[in-house]
Formats: sequence, C-alpha cells, structure tokens
Amino acid sequence: MRRLPFVVIAFALVAFALSPVFGQSLTAAQQANLKASLAVDTSVLKSADGQQLLAPSKDNRKVPARPADPNKLAETDPLHWYDMEWAGWNVTPTNTPKSPGDGAIGKKVIMIVHGDHPWTTACILGAKKVADMYKWNFKALSPNWDKVVQDQLIDQAINEKPDMILLIPLDAKAAVQQARKINAAGVPLHMFNTLPEAAALNYSLGWTGPDDFGQFRLLARAWSDELVKRNPGAGTIGVAYVQHAPGGSPYFARSFGPISELATYNPKIKTLVMASPTPATFDANTTMQLVSDWLTKYGKDLKGICASDDSAQSLGIFQALEKAGRTDVVVVAAGNSKQGMDLVKDGKLFAITYQTAEGDGALAAQTAADWFNGKGYPIRKNLAQHIITKADVEKFYPPQW
Amino acid sequence: MRSRGSLLSLGDRYRIYVLFVAVFAFMSLLSPKFFTVYNFTTILNAITMNATVAIGFTVVMICGQLDLSIGTVITFAGVLTMGLQPYLGFAGSIAVAVLGGAIVGLVNGLLVTKTRINSFIVTLGTMTILQGSIYQFSGGNSISVTTDQVFAISDFLGKNLLPLITPRVLITIILVVAVEFILRRTRAGRDFYIVGGNRSTAWLAGINTDRTITAAFVLSGVTAAIGGVVSVLVSTAATLKLGENSLMYVISATIIGGTAMSGGKGGVLRSVAAIMTLEMLYTGIILFGLGNEVKIFFAGLILAYVVLYEAYAVYRHEKTLGQRPWLMKELAARQAAGAGKKR
Repeated sequence: MRRLPFVVIAFALVAFALSPVFGQSLTAAQQANLKASLAVDTSVLKSADGQQLLAPSKDNRKVPARPADPNKLAETDPLHWYDMEWAGWNVTPTNTPKSPGDGAIGKKVIMIVHGDHPWTTACILGAKKVADMYKWNFKALSPNWDKVVQDQLIDQAINEKPDMILLIPLDAKAAVQQARKINAAGVPLHMFNTLPEAAALNYSLGWTGPDDFGQFRLLARAWSDELVKRNPGAGTIGVAYVQHAPGGSPYFARSFGPISELATYNPKIKTLVMASPTPATFDANTTMQLVSDWLTKYGKDLKGICASDDSAQSLGIFQALEKAGRTDVVVVAAGNSKQGMDLVKDGKLFAITYQTAEGDGALAAQTAADWFNGKGYPIRKNLAQHIITKADVEKFYPPQW
Repeated sequence: MRSRGSLLSLGDRYRIYVLFVAVFAFMSLLSPKFFTVYNFTTILNAITMNATVAIGFTVVMICGQLDLSIGTVITFAGVLTMGLQPYLGFAGSIAVAVLGGAIVGLVNGLLVTKTRINSFIVTLGTMTILQGSIYQFSGGNSISVTTDQVFAISDFLGKNLLPLITPRVLITIILVVAVEFILRRTRAGRDFYIVGGNRSTAWLAGINTDRTITAAFVLSGVTAAIGGVVSVLVSTAATLKLGENSLMYVISATIIGGTAMSGGKGGVLRSVAAIMTLEMLYTGIILFGLGNEVKIFFAGLILAYVVLYEAYAVYRHEKTLGQRPWLMKELAARQAAGAGKKR
C-alpha cells in the first residue's frame, strides 16, 4: 500500500511525458467541438455561378528542381520564374505554430484583402460561406490597394489576437516582412490569391490560390492555336501584353507566363510590346489609349493581345480595336467577370481563364478550417484550372462578379 | 470673462485639438480594444510616414504654395534607398535618397520663384517626370532587400524604446519639434508666415521671398524623402505605389489642421494632430468592425468639410478685408464714454 502513491505519481509522469506523442489533450468541450467541426461538410457549397465552391484541382504536374540561380536564365525560360511559379515548395518554415486541433467551429479569423474591387467582394463572399458553416467570428479588412495601409491593418489585426489571419499580399516582395511580423506576434498566418516571394512562405502556414502561371500557360497554348489558325503560313505572329499593376505576382505571371510558355510551344509568336496602363491599370479609357498607340505603331503586325483583366482592360482593348476597324486580333484575358464572359459569348474575347473569386476566398478559409481541425497543412494548394471559350461559357452564368 | 464671440474664435483657432480630444474620447469609450498600448503604438507607427511628409508640406502651404510632388518623392526616395543599397550600402543609399528629395525640392522652388509659374503646375510636372523615372529605374517592379541586416533595421525601427515610442516615431517627433521651433522662435521661421501672408509686403520688409519659398520646397522634398526612406526600411521593400495615397491624405490633414491654402497661417504640430485624429478615426472604424466603405464614406465627409470650411474661410476673409473690428470697438467705447460725460 505504501508504494501506491509512488506508482500513481510515476504513472502520471509517464502519461504526461508521453502526451505530446499522442497529441495535446483536449477537454471534453474541445473534443465535442472537434467532432462537430469534422462533421461540417463544405463540399455542398456552391458559388454564384453554380459551380462547386471548393472544386478540387486536377493539376498533377511535378515540381521541377530549382536552378542554381534562376535570375541568370533568360526571361523566356520558364525556370527564370521559378521562385514565383513554384514559390513555397522549397521553404523552411520558421516558428510555425502548431494546430490546436480543437475544431474549427467558433474561431476568430481576420481576412486582409488587397483592395476594393468586385472580384474582392466575391472573394470575401466565398470565404464568408465557409466561415458561416464553421460559425466563425469573421472580419474582412481592405487597405484599398495601399501597401502602407495594409501594414497598418496587419498591426490592428494582431492587436485583436485572432486565431488566424488570412492575407492577400499587396506586393510580393513586401510580403516577406509582413509575414515575419505576423509570425513573430504568434498569430497563425495563411496567405492566398497573390503569390508572395518564396521567403514569405517561411513564416506562413501555407498559400492557396489560382495558379496564375499555370493558368496562363494553358491560356497561351489555346491562344497560340487560334493565332496559327487565323494566320496560316505566317512566318512570325506579333502579339502584345496589357499587364497587371506592377509589383504583384499577376504582373509577371500574366505576361511572362505566356511568353515563356510560347518560347517553346510556338516560337513563331513574337512579343512586340508589353505595358501596364498608367496611371490607372484597370481603366477602360487608359487601356484604350495604350492599345490605340500600339495599333498605330505596329499596324497589321499586331495579331494578338493578352490582357491581365477581362473587364475594364478588355473593354478598353475592344474600344481601341473597333476604332481602328480591326476584327482580326485574337484577344485573351484573365477572367472571369460578367463583362469578360459577355465578351466571350459575343465572340470578341477568344478565351479567358476560369478564376473563381468565391472559390479563392473559400479555399483559404477551408484550408484554415482544416488546420484548426488538426488536418495536414499543404504548403501550397492551387485552385482548379480551366480555360473558358465560347464553347462552354454558358455553363458559368450567372457570373460571380 | 471671455465673451461668447471670443470663445467661438478660440474654439475655431484650436479646432483641431478640440477635434483630436473629441475623437480620442469617443473612440476610447466606445471602440473595442482602442484604448490599449498596442493600439496607440500601432497608430503612432502608422502615422510616421505621412506626419513626416506633412512637416515640409505644411511649411510650403504656409508660404502660400502647393507641393503636389510629395507622393512621388516618397516613392522615389524609397526606390533609391532599396535600389542603391547593394552598391552603396544603407548609409550611402539613404544619403542619396534624402539628397534626391532635396534636389527635387530645389528644382521646384527655383522654377516657382524664378519663372513665376504657379506651384500647382510646376509640382504636377515634377510629379509626372519622377513617376516616369521611378518606373525606368525599377523596371516596373518593387525593389526589396531581404538580408539579415535589413530585417534587423526593420525590427529596430519598430521596437519600443519607451511605451508608445519606437525609433521611427522618435524620428518624426524630433523633426516636428525642430521645425515647429524654427517656425515659432526664429526669424527665418517667421519669414515663412510673412511671405505666405503677403509676398509683396514681405519683399518690402526686406525679406528675400524667393529664397524663403525655395527653402520651403527643399524642406518639403527632404521630409518627403525621409518619410519614404523610413517607410521602406520598416517594410524592407519599396513598392511603386508607396506614396500614391499620401498626397490627398496630407493635403486634407494640413487643411483640417488649420493651415490656410492662401498661406500665412498654420503650423506643423496642427498638421500632425490632424493626421493623428484621422488615423484614430479610421482605426476606430475598423475596430468597430465596420468595412472599408464606411472608412471611405468618412474620408469623403472630412474632405467635403475641408472644402466647405476653406470656401467659408475665404468668404469671411474677403468680407472682412480692410475692416478693423478692434478700431470700431474702441470708437464705440469712446462714444459711450463721451455720452456719459455729457449727461
């Protein structure tokens, strides 16, 4: 009998020492919450266009080995863009918080987006659909395209001590310090939509979003096939790129993605010019002026235009083409807004990417929920890829934004 | 005892401080998590760039001029700091960036004073030229430095030296105190007000008006550059839109602070108090859980107030131009005294 207290203490010590092996011990309430959270089925959710909100990606490409110095490779070499296209696959996570594993229901999550835009509204709506399923205390903040304000919002979000911050970095390079700061404050971070520099993913649980490079490689192939079809026997086919706002990953992915893809897929296609409309990147009038100048300069040599946006930019492009009386130019763009889909339906835009705004927000939220539920965390997860043409555009109505 | 009129006048004179206290009290009482050390540190850190920029901008406005190039000078200095760092180190690149800001200010000042072109036109031109130069220099991409050194600098600038006070806040405080002292306590400082109040009178009083205005533009260029430099050191990256939104923000804050667009009136401390007030308001809105649309709505309301108030101030100034109210009061008093004696 005298030994009994020692046996009990020894047993307790062993159990305590082994507890990390078997996972953190949860209270009965936490266990119940985890059970209820795991029972939540978000696969039934639909986006406004009738598509499955969380459609799985069918992309099964293998991650290539990183070149010793990607910057030394030519910009037409796909591997030059390795640190953007494949950002995150080679990171060493630093001080990554461990999942509480106590269930996603009832968590406090703050989403910080990049700016006000109909796309962003749809994206927040998608995240909210998932947040509502898990009964989150959910808040979305927008810096309205101002990086300085985004830094302030990050500080304010940290002040609120949320269970997680979901962040769309406004600038790929500035994202490194933003992620460092959130990580240092002990708040779990998930980045989504725009790809940060690879170093930023050292401090983030992971990244989800559209595979902009991958989508534009697919788009480039469809565009190239159509250009060849419309210009049989042409020695070279001149094209131009209306770029995204400088700084973010779409700026590179939506111009150098197709350029580096076409360098091998169809070397006959030559880039004549590329530029971002200034001062307003997403303004029809500014884009119209830019493209009108190109049409004057290159005339009939300009056979194709690839736009970073299928709404304002594409409208501006078609205004310029109509003014110049050109109907032979093959235009493709990143999608998929109502204007873009209407242009595809009218036979003006040849193709757009299927970039689900609601799905983007929803995937970030779902990945966070999976982490709260103690599931494995992918360092990167892409949205499903698809190219919309006149053949299947009807399937995507009504548009998300 | 003060009359109602003089109290109103006093309230008008110090309206920014009244507004500051009102917003502070309202948000502290009602906005969740507003009244915390972390939140105030965040607000102070957040205002450092625009507050630093507002120092020089206010002096330019006191001189009766406008400097529309401040936003692009911020970006220009940021891009130079990060872009030249691999070649010159931080000491060299920061020096070049601040010198660059001073040169832009000098060019603005000389063009305004020597060619007599309106400062609005001159600085609009400088802004556009600088924008082009920035895109040329950076190749349209943000510039970042991700070495341990820059992370250490960034961490240091955001580290609390005292409660609420980080080095980046301290830099702004030192600049505000120094320029406010010059404006209030030195002859050179008073010259800015005299030149802004009436340039011809200032010239007749023997003040070198051209030099004073040029000095104001140089100061504006330097403070805008310092704002840009500190901002990029904190974020470790220079984005090409860094200073894009600062122009309207700083103009609004400077006018709300009581600096007259017509010149001759105002102060640096008032502009900084206005920036602080705006930031507290915006932070409170976010902490209330309200969206960006509410923030934009309030920003619009404030801008409308600023425009209306400025229009009213000009109207009042024109209406009372040449009037001498104290003389009228004295005459009325004498008449009353004379009437008393007669009785």
